Amino acid sequence: MHPEIAAIFQEAESRYLKPEELTSLTQYVESLPERLETYRQLQEKELEILQEVADLLQEKMPQEEISNLERSIKNAVLVLRYCATAMLLNNELFLKKRLLDWLRSTQQVYDSKTIDATLYKLLNSQLSQSLTPKQMNLLNPLLTLAETTLLAD
Amino acid sequence: MISVADLLTNNQVPSNYFATDVYIRSELELGLLENRRGDRLLAMPETLIKAIYSGLDKETGQASRLVLYNCGRWWGKNFYARLSEELTDYYKTPIADMAIGDFLQYMKQCWVVHGWGKIDWDRTAIHHGFLIIETRNSPFAAHVMKSDRPACFLDAGVFSAFFTQLSGRELYCIQTTCESIGADSNRFILGLEARLKPAEAMVESKLSHEEIVQKLMEG
Repeated sequence: MHPEIAAIFQEAESRYLKPEELTSLTQYVESLPERLETYRQLQEKELEILQEVADLLQEKMPQEEISNLERSIKNAVLVLRYCATAMLLNNELFLKKRLLDWLRSTQQVYDSKTIDATLYKLLNSQLSQSLTPKQMNLLNPLLTLAETTLLAD
Repeated sequence: MISVADLLTNNQVPSNYFATDVYIRSELELGLLENRRGDRLLAMPETLIKAIYSGLDKETGQASRLVLYNCGRWWGKNFYARLSEELTDYYKTPIADMAIGDFLQYMKQCWVVHGWGKIDWDRTAIHHGFLIIETRNSPFAAHVMKSDRPACFLDAGVFSAFFTQLSGRELYCIQTTCESIGADSNRFILGLEARLKPAEAMVESKLSHEEIVQKLMEG
Protein backbone atom coordinates (compact mmCIF):
# COMPACT_ATOMS: atom_id res chain seq x y z
CA MET A 1 0.00 0.00 0.00
CA HIS A 2 1.14 3.54 -0.69
CA PRO A 3 2.98 4.76 2.42
CA GLU A 4 0.73 7.84 2.56
CA ILE A 5 -2.42 5.69 2.57
CA ALA A 6 -0.94 3.32 5.12
CA ALA A 7 -0.13 6.30 7.34
CA ILE A 8 -3.71 7.58 7.02
CA PHE A 9 -5.08 4.32 8.39
CA GLN A 10 -2.54 4.21 11.15
CA GLU A 11 -3.31 7.72 12.30
CA ALA A 12 -7.07 7.21 12.11
CA GLU A 13 -7.02 4.61 14.83
CA SER A 14 -9.66 6.24 17.01
CA ARG A 15 -11.36 8.71 14.69
CA TYR A 16 -12.95 8.97 11.24
CA LEU A 17 -10.78 9.93 8.27
CA LYS A 18 -10.53 13.67 7.56
CA PRO A 19 -11.91 14.95 4.21
CA GLU A 20 -8.42 15.40 2.72
CA GLU A 21 -7.48 11.89 3.81
CA LEU A 22 -10.61 10.54 2.15
CA THR A 23 -9.68 12.44 -1.02
CA SER A 24 -6.25 10.79 -1.15
CA LEU A 25 -7.85 7.42 -0.59
CA THR A 26 -10.48 8.05 -3.28
CA GLN A 27 -7.82 9.08 -5.78
CA TYR A 28 -5.93 5.86 -5.18
CA VAL A 29 -9.05 3.70 -5.41
CA GLU A 30 -10.12 5.43 -8.61
CA SER A 31 -6.72 4.75 -10.16
CA LEU A 32 -6.93 1.06 -9.29
CA PRO A 33 -8.79 -0.26 -12.38
CA GLU A 34 -6.13 1.24 -14.65
CA ARG A 35 -3.37 -0.09 -12.41
CA LEU A 36 -4.92 -3.56 -12.42
CA GLU A 37 -5.29 -3.52 -16.19
CA THR A 38 -1.64 -2.46 -16.61
CA TYR A 39 -0.60 -5.23 -14.25
CA ARG A 40 -2.59 -7.79 -16.25
CA GLN A 41 -1.04 -6.60 -19.48
CA LEU A 42 2.43 -6.94 -18.03
CA GLN A 43 1.69 -10.37 -16.70
CA GLU A 44 0.33 -11.51 -20.02
CA LYS A 45 3.02 -10.00 -22.23
CA GLU A 46 6.00 -10.46 -19.95
CA LEU A 47 7.60 -13.35 -21.80
CA GLU A 48 6.98 -11.85 -25.22
CA ILE A 49 8.46 -8.48 -24.17
CA LEU A 50 11.48 -9.93 -22.43
CA GLN A 51 12.19 -12.46 -25.18
CA GLU A 52 12.30 -9.62 -27.67
CA VAL A 53 14.63 -7.71 -25.33
CA ALA A 54 16.84 -10.79 -24.93
CA ASP A 55 17.09 -11.31 -28.71
CA LEU A 56 17.97 -7.68 -29.37
CA LEU A 57 20.44 -7.64 -26.49
CA GLN A 58 22.26 -10.63 -27.89
CA GLU A 59 22.33 -9.00 -31.31
CA LYS A 60 23.75 -5.79 -29.89
CA MET A 61 26.32 -7.45 -27.65
CA PRO A 62 27.51 -10.54 -29.53
CA GLN A 63 30.92 -10.39 -27.87
CA GLU A 64 29.46 -10.67 -24.36
CA GLU A 65 29.42 -14.01 -22.54
CA ILE A 66 25.98 -15.64 -22.60
CA SER A 67 26.06 -16.28 -18.84
CA ASN A 68 26.52 -12.55 -18.18
CA LEU A 69 23.63 -11.66 -20.48
CA GLU A 70 21.47 -14.32 -18.85
CA ARG A 71 22.23 -12.98 -15.37
CA SER A 72 21.18 -9.47 -16.41
CA ILE A 73 18.03 -10.73 -18.12
CA LYS A 74 17.05 -12.72 -15.04
CA ASN A 75 17.49 -9.58 -12.97
CA ALA A 76 15.38 -7.66 -15.48
CA VAL A 77 12.59 -10.22 -14.99
CA LEU A 78 12.72 -9.41 -11.28
CA VAL A 79 12.82 -5.68 -11.93
CA LEU A 80 9.77 -5.82 -14.18
CA ARG A 81 7.82 -7.99 -11.74
CA TYR A 82 8.64 -5.78 -8.75
CA CYS A 83 7.85 -2.66 -10.82
CA ALA A 84 4.46 -4.17 -11.64
CA THR A 85 3.67 -4.86 -8.00
CA ALA A 86 4.99 -1.48 -6.87
CA MET A 87 2.80 0.16 -9.54
CA LEU A 88 -0.23 -1.73 -8.27
CA LEU A 89 0.50 -0.71 -4.70
CA ASN A 90 1.59 2.77 -5.77
CA ASN A 91 4.62 2.27 -3.58
CA GLU A 92 8.12 3.06 -4.82
CA LEU A 93 9.63 2.03 -1.52
CA PHE A 94 8.49 -1.54 -2.09
CA LEU A 95 10.63 -1.68 -5.23
CA LYS A 96 13.58 0.10 -3.71
CA LYS A 97 13.81 -1.68 -0.39
CA ARG A 98 12.88 -5.19 -1.47
CA LEU A 99 14.82 -5.35 -4.68
CA LEU A 100 16.87 -2.44 -5.96
CA ASP A 101 19.29 -1.98 -3.05
CA TRP A 102 20.10 -5.65 -3.23
CA LEU A 103 20.34 -5.80 -7.03
CA ARG A 104 22.62 -2.81 -7.03
CA SER A 105 25.15 -4.54 -4.82
CA THR A 106 24.87 -7.76 -6.86
CA GLN A 107 25.47 -5.74 -9.99
CA GLN A 108 28.63 -4.26 -8.48
CA VAL A 109 29.96 -7.75 -7.79
CA TYR A 110 29.47 -8.77 -11.40
CA ASP A 111 30.24 -5.42 -12.99
CA SER A 112 27.23 -5.70 -15.28
CA LYS A 113 26.45 -2.02 -15.74
CA THR A 114 27.33 -1.89 -19.44
CA ILE A 115 24.98 -4.77 -20.23
CA ASP A 116 22.28 -3.32 -18.00
CA ALA A 117 22.47 0.10 -19.67
CA THR A 118 21.70 -1.47 -23.06
CA LEU A 119 19.17 -3.87 -21.61
CA TYR A 120 17.02 -1.24 -19.87
CA LYS A 121 16.99 0.94 -22.96
CA LEU A 122 15.64 -2.01 -24.94
CA LEU A 123 13.18 -2.89 -22.19
CA ASN A 124 11.85 0.63 -22.14
CA SER A 125 11.28 0.73 -25.85
CA GLN A 126 9.62 -2.72 -25.88
CA LEU A 127 7.31 -1.70 -23.05
CA SER A 128 6.33 1.52 -24.84
CA GLN A 129 5.28 -0.57 -27.82
CA SER A 130 3.25 -3.03 -25.74
CA LEU A 131 1.50 -0.69 -23.31
CA THR A 132 -0.75 2.32 -23.87
CA PRO A 133 0.70 5.76 -23.02
CA LYS A 134 -1.55 5.90 -19.95
CA GLN A 135 -0.25 2.53 -18.75
CA MET A 136 3.33 3.63 -19.43
CA ASN A 137 2.69 6.72 -17.30
CA LEU A 138 1.83 4.50 -14.35
CA LEU A 139 4.86 2.28 -14.85
CA ASN A 140 7.40 4.93 -15.80
CA PRO A 141 8.25 6.40 -12.38
CA LEU A 142 9.16 2.90 -11.20
CA LEU A 143 11.17 2.00 -14.29
CA THR A 144 13.01 5.28 -13.96
CA LEU A 145 13.74 4.59 -10.32
CA ALA A 146 15.10 1.16 -11.25
CA GLU A 147 17.24 2.58 -14.04
CA THR A 148 18.64 5.46 -12.03
CA THR A 149 19.46 3.15 -9.14
CA LEU A 150 21.06 0.48 -11.27
CA LEU A 151 22.82 2.67 -13.80
CA ALA A 152 24.07 5.43 -11.51
CA ASP A 153 27.84 5.76 -11.02
CA MET B 1 19.72 -17.96 -28.53
CA ILE B 2 18.73 -17.16 -24.96
CA SER B 3 15.27 -18.39 -24.05
CA VAL B 4 13.76 -16.27 -21.30
CA ALA B 5 11.25 -19.01 -20.46
CA ASP B 6 14.15 -21.38 -19.78
CA LEU B 7 15.69 -18.92 -17.32
CA LEU B 8 12.63 -19.22 -15.10
CA THR B 9 12.02 -22.15 -12.79
CA ASN B 10 8.30 -22.78 -12.24
CA ASN B 11 7.83 -19.33 -13.71
CA GLN B 12 9.94 -17.88 -10.89
CA VAL B 13 13.29 -16.17 -10.52
CA PRO B 14 14.82 -16.30 -7.03
CA SER B 15 15.04 -12.86 -5.53
CA ASN B 16 16.48 -11.40 -2.34
CA TYR B 17 15.80 -14.17 0.19
CA PHE B 18 16.77 -12.00 3.14
CA ALA B 19 14.65 -8.93 2.23
CA THR B 20 13.89 -7.62 5.70
CA ASP B 21 10.12 -7.26 5.46
CA VAL B 22 9.74 -10.71 3.93
CA TYR B 23 12.26 -12.57 6.06
CA ILE B 24 11.13 -11.54 9.52
CA ARG B 25 7.63 -12.39 10.57
CA SER B 26 5.77 -12.54 13.79
CA GLU B 27 3.14 -15.01 14.85
CA LEU B 28 1.24 -12.72 17.16
CA GLU B 29 -1.10 -15.33 18.59
CA LEU B 30 1.75 -17.64 19.54
CA GLY B 31 3.92 -14.76 20.66
CA LEU B 32 6.68 -15.86 18.29
CA LEU B 33 9.11 -14.04 16.10
CA GLU B 34 9.99 -16.20 13.10
CA ASN B 35 11.87 -16.19 9.84
CA ARG B 36 10.10 -16.86 6.56
CA ARG B 37 10.50 -20.63 6.97
CA GLY B 38 8.94 -20.58 10.40
CA ASP B 39 12.20 -21.03 12.34
CA ARG B 40 12.06 -19.19 15.61
CA LEU B 41 13.98 -15.94 15.97
CA LEU B 42 14.90 -14.29 19.21
CA ALA B 43 15.47 -10.60 19.76
CA MET B 44 18.24 -10.20 22.28
CA PRO B 45 18.29 -7.21 24.64
CA GLU B 46 21.58 -5.34 24.76
CA THR B 47 21.62 -5.69 28.53
CA LEU B 48 21.72 -9.47 28.14
CA ILE B 49 24.79 -9.24 25.90
CA LYS B 50 26.42 -6.94 28.45
CA ALA B 51 25.47 -9.30 31.27
CA ILE B 52 26.98 -12.34 29.50
CA TYR B 53 30.24 -10.49 28.92
CA SER B 54 30.48 -9.15 32.43
CA GLY B 55 29.35 -12.40 34.11
CA LEU B 56 31.94 -14.38 32.17
CA ASP B 57 34.62 -11.85 32.93
CA LYS B 58 33.84 -11.96 36.62
CA GLU B 59 33.74 -15.74 36.84
CA THR B 60 36.48 -16.76 34.45
CA GLY B 61 38.67 -13.67 33.93
CA GLN B 62 41.14 -14.14 31.06
CA ALA B 63 39.58 -17.48 30.19
CA SER B 64 36.41 -15.70 29.09
CA ARG B 65 38.12 -15.05 25.73
CA LEU B 66 38.41 -18.75 25.09
CA VAL B 67 34.91 -19.42 26.37
CA LEU B 68 33.48 -16.80 24.01
CA TYR B 69 35.57 -18.06 21.09
CA ASN B 70 34.28 -21.58 21.65
CA CYS B 71 30.68 -20.41 22.06
CA GLY B 72 31.14 -18.61 18.76
CA ARG B 73 32.49 -21.79 17.17
CA TRP B 74 29.43 -23.72 18.27
CA TRP B 75 27.12 -20.99 17.07
CA GLY B 76 28.98 -20.54 13.76
CA LYS B 77 28.83 -24.23 12.96
CA ASN B 78 25.10 -24.46 13.55
CA PHE B 79 24.48 -21.16 11.86
CA TYR B 80 26.29 -22.41 8.75
CA ALA B 81 24.13 -25.54 8.68
CA ARG B 82 20.95 -23.47 8.91
CA LEU B 83 22.05 -20.89 6.37
CA SER B 84 23.12 -23.59 3.99
CA GLU B 85 19.75 -25.33 4.30
CA GLU B 86 17.81 -22.10 3.79
CA LEU B 87 19.82 -20.94 0.78
CA THR B 88 19.81 -24.35 -0.89
CA ASP B 89 16.09 -24.60 -0.37
CA TYR B 90 15.35 -21.20 -1.83
CA TYR B 91 17.91 -20.91 -4.62
CA LYS B 92 17.73 -24.62 -5.49
CA THR B 93 21.53 -24.82 -5.61
CA PRO B 94 23.83 -26.41 -3.04
CA ILE B 95 26.18 -23.84 -1.49
CA ALA B 96 29.17 -25.67 -2.98
CA ASP B 97 27.82 -24.95 -6.47
CA MET B 98 26.94 -21.31 -5.86
CA ALA B 99 29.06 -18.58 -7.42
CA ILE B 100 31.13 -17.12 -4.59
CA GLY B 101 29.97 -13.60 -5.55
CA ASP B 102 26.34 -14.65 -5.09
CA PHE B 103 27.02 -16.42 -1.82
CA LEU B 104 28.79 -13.42 -0.34
CA GLN B 105 25.86 -11.21 -1.36
CA TYR B 106 23.43 -13.52 0.44
CA MET B 107 25.62 -13.49 3.52
CA LYS B 108 25.74 -9.69 3.57
CA GLN B 109 21.96 -9.53 3.49
CA CYS B 110 21.74 -12.22 6.12
CA TRP B 111 23.89 -10.14 8.49
CA VAL B 112 21.79 -7.03 7.99
CA VAL B 113 18.45 -8.79 8.44
CA HIS B 114 19.56 -10.32 11.75
CA GLY B 115 20.69 -6.95 13.08
CA TRP B 116 24.36 -7.95 13.28
CA GLY B 117 25.54 -4.89 11.36
CA LYS B 118 27.28 -4.89 8.00
CA ILE B 119 29.73 -7.48 6.79
CA ASP B 120 32.21 -7.26 3.95
CA TRP B 121 35.36 -9.00 2.72
CA ASP B 122 38.73 -7.91 1.57
CA ARG B 123 40.43 -10.29 -0.82
CA THR B 124 43.85 -8.61 -0.68
CA ALA B 125 45.52 -11.59 0.94
CA ILE B 126 43.40 -14.35 -0.55
CA HIS B 127 46.20 -15.71 -2.75
CA HIS B 128 48.38 -16.01 0.33
CA GLY B 129 45.70 -18.12 2.00
CA PHE B 130 44.12 -15.44 4.20
CA LEU B 131 40.59 -14.07 4.02
CA ILE B 132 39.83 -10.75 5.68
CA ILE B 133 36.35 -10.11 7.04
CA GLU B 134 35.20 -6.68 8.02
CA THR B 135 32.12 -5.89 10.12
CA ARG B 136 30.59 -2.57 11.09
CA ASN B 137 28.02 -1.61 13.72
CA SER B 138 28.42 -4.97 15.41
CA PRO B 139 26.12 -5.28 18.44
CA PHE B 140 28.65 -7.65 19.99
CA ALA B 141 31.57 -5.24 19.62
CA ALA B 142 29.47 -2.46 21.13
CA HIS B 143 29.31 -4.14 24.54
CA VAL B 144 32.55 -6.07 24.98
CA MET B 145 34.46 -5.60 28.23
CA LYS B 146 36.68 -2.57 27.88
CA SER B 147 40.20 -3.48 26.89
CA ASP B 148 42.94 -1.88 24.83
CA ARG B 149 43.00 -4.84 22.43
CA PRO B 150 40.38 -6.18 19.97
CA ALA B 151 37.86 -8.14 22.01
CA CYS B 152 35.22 -9.72 19.74
CA PHE B 153 36.11 -13.31 20.60
CA LEU B 154 32.55 -14.49 20.06
CA ASP B 155 32.54 -13.12 16.48
CA ALA B 156 36.00 -14.56 15.80
CA GLY B 157 34.72 -17.99 16.88
CA VAL B 158 31.66 -17.65 14.63
CA PHE B 159 33.79 -16.79 11.58
CA SER B 160 36.29 -19.52 12.30
CA ALA B 161 33.61 -22.23 12.39
CA PHE B 162 31.53 -20.75 9.58
CA PHE B 163 34.40 -20.54 7.10
CA THR B 164 35.78 -23.87 8.25
CA GLN B 165 32.48 -25.42 7.18
CA LEU B 166 32.40 -23.45 3.96
CA SER B 167 35.95 -24.22 2.89
CA GLY B 168 36.20 -27.72 4.29
CA ARG B 169 39.52 -26.81 5.96
CA GLU B 170 40.03 -26.05 9.63
CA LEU B 171 40.42 -22.29 9.82
CA TYR B 172 41.51 -20.10 12.69
CA CYS B 173 40.48 -16.48 13.16
CA ILE B 174 42.08 -13.48 14.84
CA GLN B 175 40.80 -9.94 15.14
CA THR B 176 43.06 -7.02 14.27
CA THR B 177 40.85 -3.95 14.66
CA CYS B 178 37.86 -3.39 16.91
CA GLU B 179 35.09 -0.81 17.09
CA SER B 180 35.26 -1.09 20.89
CA ILE B 181 38.65 0.66 20.85
CA GLY B 182 37.72 3.32 18.36
CA ALA B 183 38.46 1.62 15.01
CA ASP B 184 36.12 2.33 12.08
CA SER B 185 35.37 -1.38 11.72
CA ASN B 186 36.13 -4.80 13.13
CA ARG B 187 38.61 -6.69 10.98
CA PHE B 188 39.18 -10.41 11.25
CA ILE B 189 41.78 -12.52 9.47
CA LEU B 190 41.01 -16.14 8.68
CA GLY B 191 43.61 -18.74 7.77
CA LEU B 192 45.25 -22.01 8.78
CA GLU B 193 46.10 -21.94 12.48
CA ALA B 194 49.81 -22.68 12.06
CA ARG B 195 50.22 -19.77 9.65
CA LEU B 196 47.96 -17.34 11.51
CA LYS B 197 49.12 -17.97 15.08
CA PRO B 198 52.12 -15.58 14.87
CA ALA B 199 49.66 -12.75 14.24
CA GLU B 200 48.33 -13.07 17.80
CA ALA B 201 51.57 -11.66 19.17
CA MET B 202 51.42 -8.87 16.59
CA VAL B 203 47.92 -7.92 17.80
CA GLU B 204 49.22 -7.98 21.38
CA SER B 205 52.05 -5.64 20.44
CA LYS B 206 49.49 -3.35 18.76
CA LEU B 207 50.69 -3.58 15.18
CA SER B 208 48.23 -2.08 12.70
CA HIS B 209 45.96 -4.29 10.59
CA GLU B 210 47.90 -3.40 7.42
CA GLU B 211 51.22 -4.25 9.06
CA ILE B 212 49.91 -7.58 10.29
CA VAL B 213 48.52 -8.51 6.87
CA GLN B 214 51.79 -7.49 5.22
CA LYS B 215 53.84 -9.62 7.61
CA LEU B 216 51.53 -12.59 7.18
CA MET B 217 51.80 -12.34 3.41
CA GLU B 218 55.57 -12.17 3.62
CA GLY B 219 55.11 -15.32 5.68
